[in-house]
Amino acid sequence: MSVFAASPGRRVPKWLARHETLLAIILVAALAGLGAFNNRFLTVDNLLNQGRLMTEIGLIALPMTFVIITGGIDLSVGAIVGLSAVMLGYSWKTFGFPLPLAIAFALAVGGLAGFVNGFVITRVKVPPLIMTIATLALYRGLAEGVSQARSVRGYPEWFYGLGQGEWLGVPTQLLLLVVLIVIAGVALDRTTFGRTLYAIGSNETAARFSALDVDRTKVVIYTLSGLASGLAAVVLVSRVTTTRMDMGMGYELDVIAAVVLGGTSIFGGAGTIWGTVIGLVMIQLLKNGLALTGVKGDATIVVIGVALIMSTLIASSLQRRRE
Amino acid sequence: MKARYLTTAAAAALALAGLATAANAAGKWDGGDDLATSPLECGMGPAAPAAPMKYDGGQPTNAADKAGKEIVVVDVPKLIGIGYFNATAKGIQDAAKDIGNVKAKTDGPTEAKIDEQIKFIDNYITSGVDGILFAANDPVAIAPVLKKALSKGIHVVGYDANSTPDAREWFVNQSPFNGIAKSMVDAMAKETGEDGSFAIVTSTFTTPNQARWIAEMQAYAAKCHPKLNWLETVEAQEDNNLSFNQATTLINKHGDKLKGIFGMTSVATPASAEAVTKAGQCGKVAVVGLATPNAMKPYVHSDCVKSVVLWNPIDLGYAATYVMRAAVDGKLKPGDTSVDAGKLGKLNVINGSEILLGAPYIFDKANIDKFDF
Repeated sequence: MSVFAASPGRRVPKWLARHETLLAIILVAALAGLGAFNNRFLTVDNLLNQGRLMTEIGLIALPMTFVIITGGIDLSVGAIVGLSAVMLGYSWKTFGFPLPLAIAFALAVGGLAGFVNGFVITRVKVPPLIMTIATLALYRGLAEGVSQARSVRGYPEWFYGLGQGEWLGVPTQLLLLVVLIVIAGVALDRTTFGRTLYAIGSNETAARFSALDVDRTKVVIYTLSGLASGLAAVVLVSRVTTTRMDMGMGYELDVIAAVVLGGTSIFGGAGTIWGTVIGLVMIQLLKNGLALTGVKGDATIVVIGVALIMSTLIASSLQRRRE
Repeated sequence: MKARYLTTAAAAALALAGLATAANAAGKWDGGDDLATSPLECGMGPAAPAAPMKYDGGQPTNAADKAGKEIVVVDVPKLIGIGYFNATAKGIQDAAKDIGNVKAKTDGPTEAKIDEQIKFIDNYITSGVDGILFAANDPVAIAPVLKKALSKGIHVVGYDANSTPDAREWFVNQSPFNGIAKSMVDAMAKETGEDGSFAIVTSTFTTPNQARWIAEMQAYAAKCHPKLNWLETVEAQEDNNLSFNQATTLINKHGDKLKGIFGMTSVATPASAEAVTKAGQCGKVAVVGLATPNAMKPYVHSDCVKSVVLWNPIDLGYAATYVMRAAVDGKLKPGDTSVDAGKLGKLNVINGSEILLGAPYIFDKANIDKFDF
């Protein structure tokens, strides 16, 4: 993980690296504090289990980091989760696809949904916020229309290995998430693709005049966002053993919260996968730690909100000091 | 250039909408679910007792012997902050007080989301409670986490909305689905006549209890009132305003054809009654539905609504807590036929591993003032 922390210093302003360091320190302090209150919190079992529960959000948060770095946003991810989940169940049950094909189909539908976002955003020049609010409603509506709000259940046992199984004691989907985190981190940090994202976010016009293929890059990241949502849907269906059209409702806010808490600027041009991972872990473990310490659900949401505001304040005060 | 893309986008949107509509046309868009139905016999005769079923619940593995000792129980309803689950939570606290050695608390998501509910239960498993009471947002999706609780020696009892049977020990059934369906459809047929047309205002098509009731109503209507004409089912969340608007739309859209409205939630029923009253259709459009008596008193007294169907949610929470205590104490074992539930007396075991709270109660002008909840 330190690979990602060490290198952005060159390209990304210094305060940002400090923001992540600070966030990591806060995270460790919070964990130690909660761990002192409750001896069931800092156990391997609990932490691995939290890893399992946060995987769906984590999968989507990776491409969302890309999207937000370019100054865009994708609000339709939760709806794509619902649509892909429905497509998985529907193609398997109604079209009679074999399950592996149905999984591929669900991923393809997710990717296509993301591609449509990217295509319209770049060609028709609809702002990402407007476009993805529209497709948020559209995809959720399609999910409801196609499924007629009926669940699909009774998948074969092997399929549950992805969402409920483990490998060497580690939840299967957590391994998947870790692999994708590494790939996303390297892609953002070490490739021209990654540098193009920062260039678009910092100054899109300059990026265009530098002969960067801005539109194609944008289509790619929105497609990735849809693809990751489709993957999250497959993992979620496997974990909860059923398909519902309301799956993933509200995910967009959890995902964006993790990305922004991790120091990615909502105005684009700055952010790291490393920060997103800290943000993701922080929200998940804070919720879990507070719940185990006996704080009720509604109060936990308040704490998460305060943490978000604090992080924004810290980020902006650090930025002011830099200026 | 731009216009061409816009046209393409519009065409694509139309095609998508067409696809969704075609998918609808293939099946019935009625808000029911796909599970098997078991409509009761027609007419007024007492329901034939169902054939006794073998216990089909799950059992906790290596549960600590807490018989007679204090236990910590957490209640995770579908969502918190609505009247219905406030009432069940009150029943749980009442029972905890009556029993003495039960410490109960209610905690859950603020929206009826299944993955949120799963996370709450998962956290309480880790924090080490003795028992979990739940009302499931989805019977299948909740099963893995409940089975995990059982495997950690935690007692699991459901109420209001069931899970798959092997994921919990017992389920307190407020009233069998087919019983509610029969009461509702019979009441509607009586008010609209056997060939009346009706519509349904439900919460959402994915809410399991409502979907189950609608499926059972459909089966029972087909069997016993085949001439009743089902116009459509509309969604109104559990939102007062939306329910009122949806009911008003139904009245305007179907005009004289509409003879009755079913309210499937304790919010939809009074809102539908209000819509009928405001439209001046009292006596022309019947309202039958599930609702709490307090919300329905004005409409029952003005003769706009003749019958309201419900059980007592406070009793439901109360019974669930007694069942939990009995399961922990070993007083309710697989194969038992009844359980003692404090002030509610003895409750019977049905369907293998369900405890029946009672038959649905029909409130009408004669008795509604005797109830206050």
